[in-house]
Amino acid sequence: MLKNAIAKSMMRSPWIYHINTGSCNGCDIELVAVLTPRYDAERFGFKLAGTPRHADIVVISGPVTSQSKDRLIRTLAQVPEPKCVVTLGSCPQSGNVFKGSYSVEAPVENFVHVDVAIAGCTVKPEAVIAGLYKAAEILEKKREAMNK
Amino acid sequence: MNFSLIGALQILFKILIFPGLLFVVVIGLFLAGIDRKLVARMQKRVGPPLRQPWFDFLKLLGKETIVPHAANKAVYLAAPVIGFTGLVVMALFIPVFGYSTFSGNGDLIVLLYLLTIPAVALIIGGSASGSPYAGIGISREMVTMMSYELPLIIILLSVARKVGGSALCFSLGQIVNWQASNGCLAFHPALIPAMLAMLLVIPAEVGTQPFDVAEAETEICEGPLIEYSGAPLAVFKLNTAMKMFIMTALFTNLFFGGVSTASLIGAGIPAIALDAVIMVLICIVVTFLSMSLIHAITARFKIEHLFKFYWTVVAGLAALSLVLVWFGL
Repeated sequence: MLKNAIAKSMMRSPWIYHINTGSCNGCDIELVAVLTPRYDAERFGFKLAGTPRHADIVVISGPVTSQSKDRLIRTLAQVPEPKCVVTLGSCPQSGNVFKGSYSVEAPVENFVHVDVAIAGCTVKPEAVIAGLYKAAEILEKKREAMNK
Repeated sequence: MNFSLIGALQILFKILIFPGLLFVVVIGLFLAGIDRKLVARMQKRVGPPLRQPWFDFLKLLGKETIVPHAANKAVYLAAPVIGFTGLVVMALFIPVFGYSTFSGNGDLIVLLYLLTIPAVALIIGGSASGSPYAGIGISREMVTMMSYELPLIIILLSVARKVGGSALCFSLGQIVNWQASNGCLAFHPALIPAMLAMLLVIPAEVGTQPFDVAEAETEICEGPLIEYSGAPLAVFKLNTAMKMFIMTALFTNLFFGGVSTASLIGAGIPAIALDAVIMVLICIVVTFLSMSLIHAITARFKIEHLFKFYWTVVAGLAALSLVLVWFGL
C-alpha cells in the first residue's frame, strides 16, 4: 500500500531542475513563465529545485555546446532514480539555427536518454505544462516498474 | 504488573500518538500545506492542494538515497534523525493548554535548549556532506541561530517575570494556568511588543522566505541540504514542517494560553480534544501572520542584514517588553 502511495505521489510532486546548455534564454524565460501566477504550474506540485540531488525532472534547454556536454552528462549522473529528462525547444532536438556549427553537439539524444521532447522556438508555456505533466506520468510508471 | 503494563502503554501512546509523534507530524504537514496554499492565494495563484506536503514527503521516500564520496556516511545519515528526535521530545514538553506530558519547574529552559537541536542537526548534516555550498549554508545557519536566540531569550524572560513576579516562572504549565485565571498574556499591554517580536522569531526559527538565507536555493543551492536526496531529505523536510507546528504552538501557549475549555465542560478527554482543535486553529492564524504573509510580500534578506534586524528591531521590541514588565506594568 505504501509503495502504491509512493508511486502515486511521484506524479503529484515532480521537482524540476533546469540546465541551460547554451540556450538563447528564450526557452528559459518561457519555463519561468510557467511558474508565474498566469500559468501556475505549482498547482500540479511542480517546484523548481536548487540542486540536481533534489530533482525528479531535468529540463535541458539549448543546443548543447561542446563545453557544456560533459557538464550535462555529469549533472544527469547526480540525479537520484527515478528521473525523467525533458528537452525544451527545438535546439536540443536538432540544433535549430545552430546546426552544423563546430561547437554544437546538437541532437541531445545521441548521448542522453530523453523521455519527453517539447518542440517550438520558443516553446509555448501551454506546451511546457503539457510536456512536464507527461514527464510526471512517466515518472510514476518508472517508480511502479521499480516496485516490481 | 497489570497496572505497570497500562502505565507503559499510556506512556507509549503519549510519545507515539497524541502530544508526540503522530499528532505533530500530521498537524505539521497540514500547516505546511496551508502555508503554501495561502502564499499562492495571496499571489493570485491557484496553488498546490492541501495534501501537497504529504505528496512531497512520500515521493522523497521513494527516491534513491545517494551518499556522496566526500561524505562521512554515518553522520550524514544520522543527522536528520537527530533533528527529528529532538522535535518529537520538544512536542512532549509543549502543553495542549492544560494538558501536558512533561511539566516541571524549568521546562521553558529545557525547551530553549531543545530548540537548537534541529538547527544543529542541519549544521552537522551539512558539514558531513562535504560540499562547499553546504559550508556557506552552515555558516549562515549559525549566524541565523545567534540572531534569533537573543530576542527569544528576552521574550521568555519577560513572560517569566510577568507571570512569576520577582521569582521568575519558567514553567510552561504554570504560565498557562496563570493565563487561565488572569487573562491571556496577549491582552496585557506590556507584553504586546514581546508578542510582535515572537511573531518575527518564528519564521527565522522555521526558515521561511525572508529569513531562509541558510537554504537560499537560488544562490547557494539549498545550502546544507545540497547533497541530500531520498529518505534523509524527506526527514529534513518533515522537520521543517514539524518545527512550524511546534513554534506556533509555543507561541499559542505563551500568549493565548488561557482559552482552555476545561473550565467550561470539565476536565477530561472531550476537553483535551476541543483544546487541541482550538490550539490548531490559533496555530493556523499564527502561521498566516508570521510566515505566509511575510513570505508573500518580501524578498530574501542578506545575512548581515538579518543579523542587524534581529539584534536591533526584534531584540529592541523584546527588551521594551522586559523593561515595561520589570517596572510592574
